[in-house]
Amino acid sequence: MTLILALIRRDLSLSIRQGGGVGTALGFFLTVMVLLPIGLGPDQALLGKIAPGALWISLLLSVLLSADRIYQQDYDDGSLDIMTMSPVPFELVALAKAVAHWLSTSLPLAIAAPVLGFLVNLDPRAIWPLALAMMVGSIALSLLASIGAAVTVGLRRGGLLVSLLVLPLYVPVLIFGLSASQAPGSSPDIATPSLLILLALALVSVVLSPLASAAALRSYLK
Amino acid sequence: MDFSDKHIEFILASYALSFLLICGLTIYVIVRDRRLRAEAERLDKLRRKENT
Amino acid sequence: MQYLANPTRFLKLANAVLPFVWAIAVALLILGLYGALATAPADYQQGETVRIMYVHVPAAWMALFVYVVMALASAVAIIFRHPLADAAAKTAAPIGAVFCFLSLATGSLWGQPMWGTWWQWGDARLTSMFVLLLLYIGYIAIWAAIDEPHRAAMIARVVALVGVINIPIIKFSVDWWNTLHQPASVFRMDGPSIAPSMLWPLLVMGLAYSFLFLALHLTSIRAEIAARKIRQIQIAEIGER
Repeated sequence: MTLILALIRRDLSLSIRQGGGVGTALGFFLTVMVLLPIGLGPDQALLGKIAPGALWISLLLSVLLSADRIYQQDYDDGSLDIMTMSPVPFELVALAKAVAHWLSTSLPLAIAAPVLGFLVNLDPRAIWPLALAMMVGSIALSLLASIGAAVTVGLRRGGLLVSLLVLPLYVPVLIFGLSASQAPGSSPDIATPSLLILLALALVSVVLSPLASAAALRSYLK
Repeated sequence: MDFSDKHIEFILASYALSFLLICGLTIYVIVRDRRLRAEAERLDKLRRKENT
Repeated sequence: MQYLANPTRFLKLANAVLPFVWAIAVALLILGLYGALATAPADYQQGETVRIMYVHVPAAWMALFVYVVMALASAVAIIFRHPLADAAAKTAAPIGAVFCFLSLATGSLWGQPMWGTWWQWGDARLTSMFVLLLLYIGYIAIWAAIDEPHRAAMIARVVALVGVINIPIIKFSVDWWNTLHQPASVFRMDGPSIAPSMLWPLLVMGLAYSFLFLALHLTSIRAEIAARKIRQIQIAEIGER
């Protein structure tokens, strides 16, 4: 357990020291948020209507595109090889690295995104539900993205392939994330059950992702 | 089957598309199978000749 | 299953049964098409357009069925390490993708006269089927992206199994999303019950597609075995030089 915590701490400090973690992801997020109103026109009513969806889709893409580095560096310099020989089950190593990505990138994004909602005329009452839903949903997003990162770790050009593999798996998170982020008082009131389902999706991915990632990484390390 | 139906082109199009794609897939699969098996056979014979 | 794991025995069996499988598939197709186009009645609401059902619904069945076959083969490959299971999973994918695309295309051709639009996001099945097609494309892309066959097989197993676990979740979420956004009356593609005169051609067509898949799949696996053999010979030759 201490080993796992140490691994998470190491990954966190690496991502902070090297930069390129949350900063780049946030920059990407902002860029999408600028492009959307330009593409759709400055109609405030329309923007307000699509605001939660726009924020969610920007979040999906930012998490996904920042995730291909989860295992890359440790694969390239051989650290991952050594980690397979550690007493800790390799599945937990994979999980630790995905959790570190969530803490360093997805969670800050999930907190910052609703605040940036004013750019797309987000209903202010929806800020809290959106933040809560994004914090829960980003767990699943990070973990699913880590599967894609593991599956393509040894490929020189895995970027597009990761998106093709992972984005379809994001559909349920997007659907339930959106309905969990509705402003309180709107009808039908489905925010709470949606949030619970979102939590269930996060738990499923906590089980599924380490198994799949570890299996994929092992086949590259052999 | 009534060919004077007002949506007949949609019906014909869906049957034609299904037919074309399935036929195309079938031809591709059969041709690939023949080509690969012939190639495997050829290489196998060549290798046996060299070994003897 | 253990018996078929041996490629030589598999080839013997495949060569023996393939002519019959093709014959049954063609016979069932002819019978099914006769039923679908000649004997089945036109629908009192949809008119002749209902006949698209006989190519649309079996294609959708097969698209789902083939993905399950693919995932089962991947699971067998992981658990029993059968050399043929990976080949079975790999060769099933393009066939399933074609069926999946067909179900989408014919669904769209059916939707245009019924809904007045080529694509109706209000129909949950179209949406889930679209996601299924994306999963097929991702699986095929993995095989194409990784050069080393053994590694590609191991990665592809993971991708297939992750996909099959997610299919019910995606299906559930899309259905749920749809009930939220359901417009007042969307045309439904199937009624609660279906007349026997329309049911039997549908079932025969479904059976015909299944046999067609079996024939295509066996042939593809046979081709895959030949491709492996070619590769082995080529590697051996490089080693001798």
